[in-house]
Amino acid sequence: MTRYVINRLVQIVVILFMILTILFVLFRLAPGDPVARMVDPNMTPEDAARLIAQLGLDLPIWRQYLTYLGNCLTGNFGHSFHYGLPVLEIIGQRLPNTILLFSTGVLLSAVAGIAWGKLAAWNKGKATDLWLTVASLITHTLFLPWLALLLIWVFGYKLDWFPINGMISDEVWLDPDSGVLLKAWDVAYHMILPLGTLFIMHFGAYLLVMRSSMLETLKEDYIITARAKGLTEKAIRNHHAAPNAWLPVVTSVGLSLAFSINGGALTETVFSWPGIGRELVFAVSQNDYPLAQASFLLVASVVLISNLVVDVLYAYLDPRIRY
Amino acid sequence: MMRAPVFRLATTLPLLTILLVLALMWPSAAPAADWDRDVLRVGVLEEPKSLNPWLAGDSWSSHVQALLYQPLYLREPAELKPAPWLAAEPPVFDPQALTYTVRLRPARWSDGSPLTAADVVFTAELIQALKVPRFASLFAALKQVEALDQQTVRFKLSRPDASFAARALGAPVLSQAQWRPVLEQCRLTQRPLASLLQYKLEDPLSNGPFVLAEWRKGVYLYLKRNPHFFGQGLTIAGRKLGPEISGVVFKVYGTSDAAVLALRKGTIDYYWNNVQPGYLRDLTRDPAVRLVQSQKSALYFLGFNLRRLPTGEAAFRRAVALLIDKQFVIKRVLQGAGEVMSSLLPAGNRFYHLNTVPDYDQPLTRRQRIDQAVEILAGAGFSWDQRPAWEGDHLRPGRGLRDPEGNPLRELSILTPPADYDPQRAMVGVMAQEWLGQVGIPAFARPMAFGAMLEQVKSRREFDMFVLGYGNLPLDPGWLGAFFLGANDRPRGWNMSGYHSPEFDSLANQAGRAMDPQERQPLVQEMQRILMKDTPFLPLYNPTLTEALREDRFSGWVEMVGGVGNLWTFCELTPRAGRARP
Amino acid sequence: MSAKDQITVPTPPRRNPWRERLLDNWRVFHQNPLGRIGLILLVVFAVMAMVSVVPPLIDPMYHPMTGVDPEVMQSSAPSWRHWLGTDFMGRDILSQLLAGTRVAFMVGVSAAFMSIALGVSVGMVSGYLGGWTDIILMRLSEIIMVMPTLLVVLMLAALFGKLGIWTIVLMIAFFRWPGVARVIRAQTLSLKGRPFIDAARVAGASHTRIVFRHIMPNVLPLAFLYMTFRVTGAIIIEAALAFLGFGDPGTVSWGMMLQWVWKTGHMFQAPWWLLPPGLCISLLTLSFYMLGRAMDEVLDPRLRDQSR
Repeated sequence: MTRYVINRLVQIVVILFMILTILFVLFRLAPGDPVARMVDPNMTPEDAARLIAQLGLDLPIWRQYLTYLGNCLTGNFGHSFHYGLPVLEIIGQRLPNTILLFSTGVLLSAVAGIAWGKLAAWNKGKATDLWLTVASLITHTLFLPWLALLLIWVFGYKLDWFPINGMISDEVWLDPDSGVLLKAWDVAYHMILPLGTLFIMHFGAYLLVMRSSMLETLKEDYIITARAKGLTEKAIRNHHAAPNAWLPVVTSVGLSLAFSINGGALTETVFSWPGIGRELVFAVSQNDYPLAQASFLLVASVVLISNLVVDVLYAYLDPRIRY
Repeated sequence: MMRAPVFRLATTLPLLTILLVLALMWPSAAPAADWDRDVLRVGVLEEPKSLNPWLAGDSWSSHVQALLYQPLYLREPAELKPAPWLAAEPPVFDPQALTYTVRLRPARWSDGSPLTAADVVFTAELIQALKVPRFASLFAALKQVEALDQQTVRFKLSRPDASFAARALGAPVLSQAQWRPVLEQCRLTQRPLASLLQYKLEDPLSNGPFVLAEWRKGVYLYLKRNPHFFGQGLTIAGRKLGPEISGVVFKVYGTSDAAVLALRKGTIDYYWNNVQPGYLRDLTRDPAVRLVQSQKSALYFLGFNLRRLPTGEAAFRRAVALLIDKQFVIKRVLQGAGEVMSSLLPAGNRFYHLNTVPDYDQPLTRRQRIDQAVEILAGAGFSWDQRPAWEGDHLRPGRGLRDPEGNPLRELSILTPPADYDPQRAMVGVMAQEWLGQVGIPAFARPMAFGAMLEQVKSRREFDMFVLGYGNLPLDPGWLGAFFLGANDRPRGWNMSGYHSPEFDSLANQAGRAMDPQERQPLVQEMQRILMKDTPFLPLYNPTLTEALREDRFSGWVEMVGGVGNLWTFCELTPRAGRARP
Repeated sequence: MSAKDQITVPTPPRRNPWRERLLDNWRVFHQNPLGRIGLILLVVFAVMAMVSVVPPLIDPMYHPMTGVDPEVMQSSAPSWRHWLGTDFMGRDILSQLLAGTRVAFMVGVSAAFMSIALGVSVGMVSGYLGGWTDIILMRLSEIIMVMPTLLVVLMLAALFGKLGIWTIVLMIAFFRWPGVARVIRAQTLSLKGRPFIDAARVAGASHTRIVFRHIMPNVLPLAFLYMTFRVTGAIIIEAALAFLGFGDPGTVSWGMMLQWVWKTGHMFQAPWWLLPPGLCISLLTLSFYMLGRAMDEVLDPRLRDQSR
């Protein structure tokens, strides 16, 4: 087991290294003048050249690459062209917001999806099953930005129930009288619509996986044995079938992560949630190489590591699997 | 039945969470406290990228920086003439010695220390020494700057520069006490300029009406009134200055939807951005909201690459000019929020603007435009495999356009910024593609990231046409020369078209040295006439700025070119009567 | 034919294995309600796509990109002239919607087809040859798999600025093959050890022949299944890209329409403009998805039978 994990970790490092290289090559190949936005219409070519030299962009490409690799190894991802701040600092500011929104979203939809999937499988062929399955089919294929816009339109504009963007309101946070609790409430309040979007988009997938996996499990011999033993239906479902049906769901959480991250970035963009996904989209459109590179690397490592975690978890949950 | 409890368990978990969250929103509905009574709340789309004045010059940063870092002279709203701001009186120019002498008002930094001539000298010297990109070109003609005494500065020029007074003396003055140590530190590094630009400014010293109180990244930025502001209670350019408001909160909204909604709800008093036409219907109906239209000093244009064919051909450019229906662009794409531009200098710049309308900007029908363009092309030797022809009202588009040598035209690119950056310009590119296509010109709109586009245009110079805009051009016309001087046609140079005209060059050089505006005016107008004839750039439109604000909490908004969001507004706004100061 | 085949299928001599399988599957598939609904929806959209050429013929003002109603200067609500209203420039939304259907089909099907073709070839080669080829191809697929496709394509689109619709299709296809390749590889591995492949090899069949004649027909149903899911993915990615403002500006796609309504601030004012494109994207992806699930249910027992 330990050997397996170490093996995988080495692989992850190799893959990350390759991604790093690909990113570097891509960003240098691309036509794009990083200083274009920094200059004033009267700046002379000499001044522009000086600025480029100051940013280290005039060195031969292999030296830039070596510097870049060395810097990345020491955790120095450079300064954002746009903000003029260390990239890590910006990421540090945005990342907690993303984690808050994203993990809450995934967790909520996984819990609901698993619970409802169990329910649907148990009532296979009945109305409950039909409704749940149809609902998850439909919500699962909704176009996320459109769903977000709809939610904003209905709940933010027509009904005026929730704030339609951002993460906190300054009225609360600037007010010296606001306590921690009030501030936390404020964040939760802002989170409802983006969270709702993520939830609606994702619970369907978990539900469907859980349902079919549960149906599989119900056919297994040990369930039949349990029935023969005269255990109650509830006991069979919750203690015999469900724990085994969990496994594929765990895998699907891991495998769908890359997909969910796309959705996370879109959600953040539409709701102006100050997270890493929105920042990445923004950095890309601004040619902010260092920021885009680092954010992308972060996203890739998150996916890689969570895949590893899922595999390990899988082995842990399913005693039949040994590495 | 086993189902009921199961169902309960399965549904309650998420439902409970949602309910819990719903319950949590309750307290935030409590009435807001008094702390923000006289605080102006401004909605912005993006937060400033940095308050480091050397680095950031984008509009969102400028919005905030303008309230912190003050210039010697500031344009007043009525005549747009520079009014003494940190300076006590207009600069004294000595034409023999080429010197400007500026006397300062008594002023203080936000920490209470006095602002002296030494700060002005330091600022100019730093810009020159490190060639700070934002300001270097303004100070290019500066030979030497010295403090004659605590309150007096003398700028000595190396050559006559017509723009110096308007541009360099309008640059902000920064604190020596804050930046001298930083500069020393940066000089020790390998790359002093990069270090300066990347310096993290925690607590900017302000000499303006406000000072930074709190900045929560990505959410809001809060400025408090600066108790040491030099202008407090003064009357400058006939205007009594405050500020009467106790602070400004900039709220970052990210999308216009949210900002406009916030304005209607009264969560913000002013949205510092152009309001898209789609919102106007709702906003005009709202009695609490006032819409303000202002002119901009802006230029949106279609640029040609004169270094290659067919765009190098004057006749071809005229045909394109005819095919592009500016009225359509303004009426449809801009929804009426703009005016046709015929000269490259915006009409708002009344003193220098040339008021002539070329024939292609006359109102013409689509058919007339197409017919005339076809004629011009044919006259210049272009030919078609299938010439565009009318079948009743239907146009049979031209096909297989060939240049005068008989070679088929290759695909021509129209570079535009991407739609997310500016949907209107991207749309203009697409419309131009279709219009040119009608006579068989194989043009294709290609939106690209802004930086990529500039590199393509300025460094690689591989393009045929491009749509670009300057939203906030200086009122001083110095840039007009820079854009078309033959000497500036080099990689990264400002002559993007590759335009060469000895006649224009000599006019531009003359105008650049003309220290007397009366002498400069006819020269600048003649430059515009030549450009209109040669059309290296086809000016398209100057959008009208539509801004939305609420007047229920504050009065005294100052309208000027560039919109309500100007320093004068922030210095003059007063809380409505009946709203007692705490 | 191999000896083994003659034993399991005595008479008549084996027909074209491809056609047989497809027909077989179709019969089962047709009985599945999910598949039927999906198919009906799909037919509706196909009709829409075909009809899309009609409006511009009726009047130039119905041209989805350039046609503007001379009397309409702003976004107008549905009327007789414009069944779904107009956008801010006075362009007909129904014509745009129809044109968008065509684009969506084109993007979805071609990107899916390309990624499946790539995935199947890589998977079969990797599984059949094994060894270093296998290792390299699978590591490559892992790298590509961890990249969130939308963000990568977004980055490439923004970087290179060449946003033609075909470039987008190619990019989507390129980043979506690894999943398929892995499944096909596993399938190939399980087939490789089976007697009829050995028999074919003993009978002197070349590698190419074995791969195409014996392995491909067996993995193809699975590939088709994945294709429907890839269509869904491709449509969504293209739409999201356009929605963020990085689409092909020369095409009227549904994502583009949503981008226009969002960026011009008509979201709250013009529900007739906001609702249709999103609904269409969602329904079209739903129909492909349902089709896929139906196929899944059809193929599932067969696949299991084979692996036992």
